[in-house]
Amino acid sequence: MRWNLFIFTGILLLALPQFLFAQSRTVAVLTPFLAQPGTQLMVEGFEATAKSKGWQVDVIDTSGDVAALVSRMEDVALQKVDAMVINVDPSQIRNGLLAAKDAEIPVFGMDSGADPLLTANVTSNGYVMAAETATYLVDQLNGKGNVVMFIFEPYPPVQKRGAIAESIFNNEPDINIMEKITPSFDRGPLEGARNAMEAVLTANPAKGSIQAVWAAWDDPALGAEQAIRDAGREDEGIVIVGIDATEQARDRIAARGNLKATVAQDFTGIANTVANTVEQYLQSGSVSRSQIYVSAKLVTADDL
Amino acid sequence: MTGSLQLVPLLRRYGTFLGFLLIVSFFWSQRPDTFMTTRNWLNITQQVSILCVISFTMTLVMVGGDFDLSVGSMASLSGMIAAVLWQQEVRLFGALGAAVIVGAFGGVFNGVLVAYAGLSAFVATLGTLTIFSGLALLVSDGKTIFGRAIPEIVGDFSRGGIPLAEGIQLPNLTLIAISVLILMGIVLQHTVFGRNLHAVGGNREASLLAGVPVARLRLIAFAFNGVGAAIAGLMLVSRLSSANPTQGDGLMLNAIASVFVGMTMSEEGEPNLFGTLTGVLILGVLSNGLTQLRIDTYVQQILTGLIIIAAVLFSRLSLRKR
Repeated sequence: MRWNLFIFTGILLLALPQFLFAQSRTVAVLTPFLAQPGTQLMVEGFEATAKSKGWQVDVIDTSGDVAALVSRMEDVALQKVDAMVINVDPSQIRNGLLAAKDAEIPVFGMDSGADPLLTANVTSNGYVMAAETATYLVDQLNGKGNVVMFIFEPYPPVQKRGAIAESIFNNEPDINIMEKITPSFDRGPLEGARNAMEAVLTANPAKGSIQAVWAAWDDPALGAEQAIRDAGREDEGIVIVGIDATEQARDRIAARGNLKATVAQDFTGIANTVANTVEQYLQSGSVSRSQIYVSAKLVTADDL
Repeated sequence: MTGSLQLVPLLRRYGTFLGFLLIVSFFWSQRPDTFMTTRNWLNITQQVSILCVISFTMTLVMVGGDFDLSVGSMASLSGMIAAVLWQQEVRLFGALGAAVIVGAFGGVFNGVLVAYAGLSAFVATLGTLTIFSGLALLVSDGKTIFGRAIPEIVGDFSRGGIPLAEGIQLPNLTLIAISVLILMGIVLQHTVFGRNLHAVGGNREASLLAGVPVARLRLIAFAFNGVGAAIAGLMLVSRLSSANPTQGDGLMLNAIASVFVGMTMSEEGEPNLFGTLTGVLILGVLSNGLTQLRIDTYVQQILTGLIIIAAVLFSRLSLRKR
């Protein structure tokens, strides 16, 4: 009897891992932007939710190299993972998406753009976020003043933000866009924006010559604020706004300096929604919508 | 004893290649179902094809004793030129030709600065790296060009190839890399230009005294490299179906690393095409294999760097012992 019990327990112990393995899903998360705070939050959020679902998550970061990301997608497609999650502009990785399609692996966008080759994309509405910060700025300036814009055209989701903010400023007759700057990424966008803002401040030394800085994301907003502080012009009332509500930006807004507002993308909410959408697809073979928006919220010092 | 003595130079010459075979064997043993498959190897050749082209022409420049830091930004610029022209409805081959001409001009400009104005290759190509990078941003207004602006045939080209079996094809990008390899092999081994370039790289003063047109040869090598960078940039546009003003920037360091690894496969530590090919394949196989093994991407970078250093160090030590 005891031997039977031993044998039965042994079989169970041997079979259990196989049973668990058979149930577990493998999802690859691929991005060239893991160094960005927003991407980090989303990837960490996705990993946490995926862990609670018992999935194995492989995170692949190609450090800014989009061509390498396509290669890694091809490699992952050969591995027959259950799903891929990407955080990159899908229009630049068409070959990777086609490799996944050939291998019949669904691909989900996590704050990517919309693309027919994606099963679904979960994101914040970039147009709404840009409009929130641009109108906040117009209100703070009472519709009058010189604005420096930090934009980034190569990445479509961020390019959209700049386009909306620009059209809002252009619609205000007394708002003047004095500079549109794409910060250099050589030493990070924060440092690039700081250097560029130093140059703008040097070129416009008169007090009150700059009323506001609008940044398409938080890093250049923080860089601009540092440049204004270092130039000793923090008391001129220059209003800065950013987007993404990173920890650093929240700290600076709470300190009630020049950085007045940002928009909190709900990165954890995006990550959770992606994980739930992946789960829905793996269970039913379809998703309810291919473009899913998660709400974002304007954050000012009063909220912190 | 004699046998072991014969083994030492063989190991010295083919140690890196043996290392490559060991890496392949390791991944094969770890992922027997997916690594050593025709599909995966064709995949790898396609993934390294762009780096191959840029590294082969870089080998030419390095044979002449120079190097070129601007190849990555030239690849970005050339791809961007073609994309902007397509956006303005210039014909397919007109835009391709313009991109290659821009590459050739960029290479000649580098060559003039280095071979005739006497600037060091490091300083001159560091300067042109910034210029080409700025030009790429200028012509594109900093934007990524994608979608309908890129002719469908351009994206389809990188997905096409010569059918080998059902569902398996020799990718077009791999074919381009093979063609450039053959062309560079002929240029380096079977032309007076190639032989003289080896002499220039070996001893520039002696070559000058022997009447070799050193400056002209160096300029031509840079021109080849500019064209190689342009072709690589166009391949990149095809592979990504889009053009971004910074998308080729990462190629430069990997190209130089590949040539350096390849130099360990020469008795005299000279750049050579077979060595460069091995260097590129080591980088490609490492990325592919480590991804398949689900090794953290940051650990992958560290391992790749360590393997490059180990290969060059091994070669240096064996040369010193000689």
